[in-house]
Amino acid sequence: MTTFWQATFDGVALGSLYALIVLGFVVIYRATGIINFAQGGALLLGAYITYNVSTSWGWNYHVGIVLSVLVCAGFNVLLQRAMLQRVFREVVGISAGLLGWATLFYNGTTHLVGLSGGVAIGLLGWFATARIEARYGDKGPSELPLFGAIMVTIGVLFIVKQVVASIWGFAELSVDDPWELSTSRVGGLVLQHSKLAAIAMAVLALGVFFLVDRYSRIGVAMRATHFDHEAAIAQGISTKIVFATAFAVAGGAAALAGTAATAGPELITPNLDFVVFLAFPAMILGGLDSPAGAVAGGLLVGWIQNLVKTYVATTPEWFPIEDLDWLGAGFERVAIFVVMIIVLMVRPYGLLGTEEVRRV
Amino acid sequence: MSADSTPDAAPAVPGKATAAPAVPGESNTGRKHRRAKTPHAMHVRYRDDLRLFPNRLRRSALAALILTWAFIPVFWDVPPFTLLSGNGISLNTLAYAGVFSIAAIGLNLLTGYTGQVSLGHSVFLAVGAYSTAYAGSVWGWPMWLWIFFAPALGWLVGAAIGPFALRLRGNYLVIVTLGLVFIGEHIFRNWRSVTGGNTGTSAAGVELDLGFVDFENLSLFGKAFGKDESYFWLIWLVVAVVAWLTKNVVRTRPGRALQAVRDQDIAAEIIGIDVGVTGYKTQAFAWSAAIAALAGALYAPLQLFISPGDFTLLVSIQFIAMIILGGMGTIYGSIIGALVITALPRLIDGISADYGVPGVAAKSTDSGLVSVASLNVIIYGFLIALFLLVEHRGLAGIWVRIRNYFSTWPFSY
Repeated sequence: MTTFWQATFDGVALGSLYALIVLGFVVIYRATGIINFAQGGALLLGAYITYNVSTSWGWNYHVGIVLSVLVCAGFNVLLQRAMLQRVFREVVGISAGLLGWATLFYNGTTHLVGLSGGVAIGLLGWFATARIEARYGDKGPSELPLFGAIMVTIGVLFIVKQVVASIWGFAELSVDDPWELSTSRVGGLVLQHSKLAAIAMAVLALGVFFLVDRYSRIGVAMRATHFDHEAAIAQGISTKIVFATAFAVAGGAAALAGTAATAGPELITPNLDFVVFLAFPAMILGGLDSPAGAVAGGLLVGWIQNLVKTYVATTPEWFPIEDLDWLGAGFERVAIFVVMIIVLMVRPYGLLGTEEVRRV
Repeated sequence: MSADSTPDAAPAVPGKATAAPAVPGESNTGRKHRRAKTPHAMHVRYRDDLRLFPNRLRRSALAALILTWAFIPVFWDVPPFTLLSGNGISLNTLAYAGVFSIAAIGLNLLTGYTGQVSLGHSVFLAVGAYSTAYAGSVWGWPMWLWIFFAPALGWLVGAAIGPFALRLRGNYLVIVTLGLVFIGEHIFRNWRSVTGGNTGTSAAGVELDLGFVDFENLSLFGKAFGKDESYFWLIWLVVAVVAWLTKNVVRTRPGRALQAVRDQDIAAEIIGIDVGVTGYKTQAFAWSAAIAALAGALYAPLQLFISPGDFTLLVSIQFIAMIILGGMGTIYGSIIGALVITALPRLIDGISADYGVPGVAAKSTDSGLVSVASLNVIIYGFLIALFLLVEHRGLAGIWVRIRNYFSTWPFSY
């Protein structure tokens, strides 16, 4: 029985990580109808910023978390500006500035010259793009082809991943976090403190989100926009603000997930974005447009994944097939996709998702 | 498609004919009648719209293009082509581009024409490649057998996946096909007796001999050719056949049924298009998978050694990048997209190795802002995002606009 409860504890920890990731997907999907693969980029960016602040700079770990949440929220808002509103001046300006700064710095200038040069180049890029947009841009939202938005976000994910790898390298890095390898033992169970912290972080973040979503003005506006886009506009809700908020919330959630995923014994590499793909079954299982489904799906998938992992390694006695090694290493990652497909065949819109009514 | 260039409607601009001063050298009487009778860029009837070659110009242009392409291996070391061959693009690159063109045509049939998104096409490619490697090397099957075996197997896998598209749509289908990639990769890594597991399997023993022509020791008109040349011809011959067959499918009745399903599947069902378990959606999946598996069958002997790393999610995304960049719902767009997406990394490699782009590290030991591999992926991502946001009809859309501009020149529409 200890094996079961250990697997359950680890599953809940993994599940709360999934829940955080999926919350980001769901919030964006609910507001805009887009599955934002670039969440993987935000997660990566968040994890590395926490690493950079806490380990490279040696600042307080919690300051690192706050900074990474802010940066990722900003990153997502910019993405949203470019993708949904087709305003590129901020994106171009900031990328030009960063690129200019990096080039100057790479060529061995001082920090002062590098920074001021970067700012100057960034401003130049911003103004130039603003002029071009004022003249040629703003023909209104043009129709993206099907899944076009998804592909844009996949493209962004590629870019962010390689940029992160170029800055911090491909090597495995260890983050200086307050928990390290410490554990507690409760009745035969080994509770890793980093996993407890991950659960606590997820509970806190999800709790705040649900309160805001339920009771605050912007939360109601987000739900109204999901319910009926045009009616929401007619009521005076600014969909621009709603979209930006949704993306910002998702960015923050992704940053928290990235931080939680690299705490404790875990190492950080640019391939960390893979965890986002593993969260897809959780997202689909819960239903694409339901935050409660995100939590349910995340916990369920994390739990199933750990149960499968545990029991494939040590087959229980009652199980008819003795040796399950032929399933191969990492079978638990495939198992959750199989579960997802089975659930989708029964409920094509997930466990808690809204059934889509299709009209001709 | 404008109807006003028919003989009857030709003098339908009397106001213009009398008011505007006559253009020097062009009389206003009779001339328009004569011009309207010749095949013209204007499509007058539906039949013209559906023709394989709308006019003589395009037919001869295509013939010239195919002829030039066929002679590329012969003239590869001669000037204008040295611009490419000197900068990292070899005949081998073009052979890979051909393989990916086939797969991209398959994906375009499914995504561009039928509107069903698949992130799982790397799995179908893998099915073709592994089955060819196994049938060709282990069973020692001749070429005429494995070149049909691989698509047949791909067809079966596609037909098994297809019914999922009946129950799911849009984003849910995307995620399921994404799951297919993970499941497929797991199988390829663990079914060691067939796939060789993580290390992969060799396809060196696959025969490329059709009896009357042997693509391993090709000699034409008394001249012996190397492996690169013969693979180029073999693969691009298959590209031509697949493109021609697919074009004929999409411009005739089944193709219009597929496009009706894409545009509105419920409406398509109501007007009598079969979208059941054996209907058009499933068949589109099956045939698309079969084409991708055919590409895989040619990929195996070209690559010589195949491993699960060749069939990751990134490969599927590259296929989608190809059809987006080239143009969704066009056959030639798939080929253009495959050429660009395959050649671009090699071009960046070649240029940064020869000339050195500032800040780009050509080798892993060099210092620089980004490595070439990273830069390549960044450019991929950037191209996908840029094309979707700015010109989502792809290069084909740009080409059509240029062509239409000149075909009605000097009138803008």
